[in-house]
Amino acid sequence: MSETSGQQHPVGVYLKVWILLFVLSTFSYMVDFFHLEGYLRWTLILIFMFLKAGFIIAIFMHVAWERLALKYVLFVPLSAIAILILLMAIEGDYTFLTRETFFDQ
Amino acid sequence: MTIETDTSTTYTDPGVDGMVSDWSSDRQTFDLPWGKLMMWIFLLSDTFIFSVFLTGYMNVRLSQTATWPNTSEVFALEIAGTHLPLILIAIMTFVLITSSGTMAMAVNFAYNGDRRKTAILMGATALLGASFVGMQAFEWTKLIGEGVRPWGNPMGSPQFGAAFFMITGFHGLHVTAGVIYLSIVARKVARGDYEKKGYAIVEITGLYWHFVDLVWVFIFAFFYLW
Amino acid sequence: MQNVAIADQIDELHDPQTFITKYIWSQDHKVIAIQYGLTAIFVGLIALALSGLMRLQLGFPDAFDFINPSDYLQFVTMHGMIMVIYLLTALLLGGFGNYLIPLMIGARDMVFPFLNMLSYWFYLVSVIVLLTSFFVPGGPTGAGWTLYPPQAILPGTPGYDWGIILMLVSLAIFIVAFTMGGLNYVTTVLQARTHGMTLMRMPLTIWGIFTATVLGLLAFPALLVSAIMMMLDKTLGTSFFMPALVSLGENLDYSGGSPILFQHLFWFFGHPEVYIVALPAFGMVSDVLATHARKSIFGYRMMVWAIVVIGGLSFFVWAHHMYVSGMDPAFGFFFATTTLIIAVPTAIKVYNWVLTLWKGNIQLTVPMLFAIGFIFTFTHGGLTGLFLGNVTIDLPLSDTYFVVAHFHMVMGVSPIMVLFAAIYHWYPLLTGKMFDERLGKIHFWFTFLGTYAIYLPMHYLGFLGVPRRYFAMGSMDFIPDSAQTLNQSITISALIVGFSQLIFLYNVFVSLRNGKPAGHNPWGATSLEWQTPDVPPRHGNWGPKLPQVYRWAYDYGVPGAKEDFIPQNHPVTDSERTAGEHDA
Repeated sequence: MSETSGQQHPVGVYLKVWILLFVLSTFSYMVDFFHLEGYLRWTLILIFMFLKAGFIIAIFMHVAWERLALKYVLFVPLSAIAILILLMAIEGDYTFLTRETFFDQ
Repeated sequence: MTIETDTSTTYTDPGVDGMVSDWSSDRQTFDLPWGKLMMWIFLLSDTFIFSVFLTGYMNVRLSQTATWPNTSEVFALEIAGTHLPLILIAIMTFVLITSSGTMAMAVNFAYNGDRRKTAILMGATALLGASFVGMQAFEWTKLIGEGVRPWGNPMGSPQFGAAFFMITGFHGLHVTAGVIYLSIVARKVARGDYEKKGYAIVEITGLYWHFVDLVWVFIFAFFYLW
Repeated sequence: MQNVAIADQIDELHDPQTFITKYIWSQDHKVIAIQYGLTAIFVGLIALALSGLMRLQLGFPDAFDFINPSDYLQFVTMHGMIMVIYLLTALLLGGFGNYLIPLMIGARDMVFPFLNMLSYWFYLVSVIVLLTSFFVPGGPTGAGWTLYPPQAILPGTPGYDWGIILMLVSLAIFIVAFTMGGLNYVTTVLQARTHGMTLMRMPLTIWGIFTATVLGLLAFPALLVSAIMMMLDKTLGTSFFMPALVSLGENLDYSGGSPILFQHLFWFFGHPEVYIVALPAFGMVSDVLATHARKSIFGYRMMVWAIVVIGGLSFFVWAHHMYVSGMDPAFGFFFATTTLIIAVPTAIKVYNWVLTLWKGNIQLTVPMLFAIGFIFTFTHGGLTGLFLGNVTIDLPLSDTYFVVAHFHMVMGVSPIMVLFAAIYHWYPLLTGKMFDERLGKIHFWFTFLGTYAIYLPMHYLGFLGVPRRYFAMGSMDFIPDSAQTLNQSITISALIVGFSQLIFLYNVFVSLRNGKPAGHNPWGATSLEWQTPDVPPRHGNWGPKLPQVYRWAYDYGVPGAKEDFIPQNHPVTDSERTAGEHDA
């Protein structure tokens, strides 16, 4: 295989993303450090998490430069997991509810 | 019953049209080395493994009537007299991100044909990974010292210890495997074993390593920060 | 395009020299396939024997002293688990997948032959671990093939100690084996096809196996994780699936876990597993039907899309196995809806099989008989699935023999019908010999009629409310005495069907020596595996040059062709070219 067909990108992109990941990690640590609570805490944690994950996947794993065909292969199956997470969250709440109702602890 | 025989694609069309032409080509669907595609599919499968682990953890935690320990306090450390919540986990996160950066640079140097720098950076990545595992061992020891066991703990719900040891343990196994994998590939790169075959292998190893980092991002958010 | 070039180079393959590298540590996909196949059939025979013992007990309770209740539960469990995982999954994907993928898409081998070899050896280890559980204290697990906790790991269930641990270990090893094989199959289909072989020219067999493998790679993780969690519950005393409970008068140390979670995770694997077994069968039966009816498959594109859509939907229907489990009742609506939607692509497939036969030049060969038999059994099993997919109808039928009859018809007998069809169909290719046609037909009629003799009465037992998994019915008022008579008749039929499989084994093994030479392409099939230079194909499959594919795999009954079919590697003639313009 010739070398040109690999993923080659300017070093600057990697360095910028690298720094950004440090900043985002610090932010999510700060969320805990300053004891933010409730919806604000959750929104911030999830935003920082998805941003970090997004940058790792897009830049470090080169998905941003891959063909659309591969992107679909990687992301469409996750819909099954999304449904599983959603339903298991509902189910967890339901189990909690029945436990509260039928066993007083 | 299509008549034309030459259906190869050049992998240049953008967007949905490009996707259609990729999928309808003969010989191969993706313009990727076999090993790289296989690694991607493996990682997709592994994503399902970690997702199900985390989903299971979420479900038992939501259905808990016992109180869940406050992770911020459980994982706090006293450093130089100051009480810092979650500090070790934060350091571990930074170590893993650093290692992801060195890995990304290694891939870049590999495709530039710089064997020495590639091997050094991969070695650095493996060392950072090993130190991550070391810190995890420290964290496990500390928690076990405080009476946290897979079957129960003094702070609250028994599922806390169970989920903690299972999820971080499984992730730690992945990191350990990654360190071994990286060391082997780094050694072969340094020896020049890939001069003929090309350096896609470095990118493939990198994919695995970034995935391990990616999983940690989710564990950090859902287990430690929740 | 540099990556595909490797496929063309024959010198990349090192021809095995010694007996050991040729037949034991072989990296040739055809040898690995046969290793997989023989191992799977061997454990399948054990599972068949177990079902015979179960039937003896059910048909003639009290008559057999050597079967006690815990034995019976162990037979049920091991029969189910072996049949679903170690026979059907392994034989369809490890066996036929391995054999047919490279041959049908025109590759020299799988893309990673060494990994492929490891896959078989891991599978063999998982089988050995599984069978070991018959010889440990307490015997194999008797928790039912679904292994539901808490009972699976608590005293009172047979094999709650050693048995369940070995079962979970064996499953984990199997999953590792499957992953190594599965990654190979998927990558091979996507990246190593021959010249001119687009995805939409692949035979449906490959589509079925390919989609099923993808399902496996995404569904087995859920089983692996639940196996790990249950293992921790059993060995370390964690409480993932274990609530606080009292067992045999004792308060256990467990508390706070969710048994329902296990059921969700298990079925998140378990339902795709049904299609992991069914989709390869769908694919292979399509090819057998088209070949032996000398007619192109009806609605090829629809068939492909139906396979893909069924595969995708199978991840969204899992909790229809759990209507009576005590899950959130609101889920019933969601899962009943998605379940019934799956009936649409499935029905498309059944219509298309029937329409393929319509006005075909049907050759009632042995593979064809089994393929037509499959259409019957699958339709019947599928229709009862509509009953069980609806919450309100499922509630009274849950855990009765109606369910047993349903899943045996739809995912037990039907894939096995196809397996027989496939074995008979590809036997001449594997061995270069023809099997005995007359014995094959006898085998078919015993199996097909026997199936109905066994499972039709079970539906009726289910309507009466006879519960499944019971060692003996005792004296329950709602079960009439005649139910016992039916049970006896089922047992006798089951034993006859079981023993008639000896005809098949005899036929397969004796024809190896005595069969007539089959020659090239005895069925007149178009797909690539029949166009190899040697029969059986040699290492590397294609001689010096890979084949060039010019057309789809279903040019049967072509007017004006020299024979009534045109293989995929024959160039398109001028007369076809002009005729084709009308189609376009």
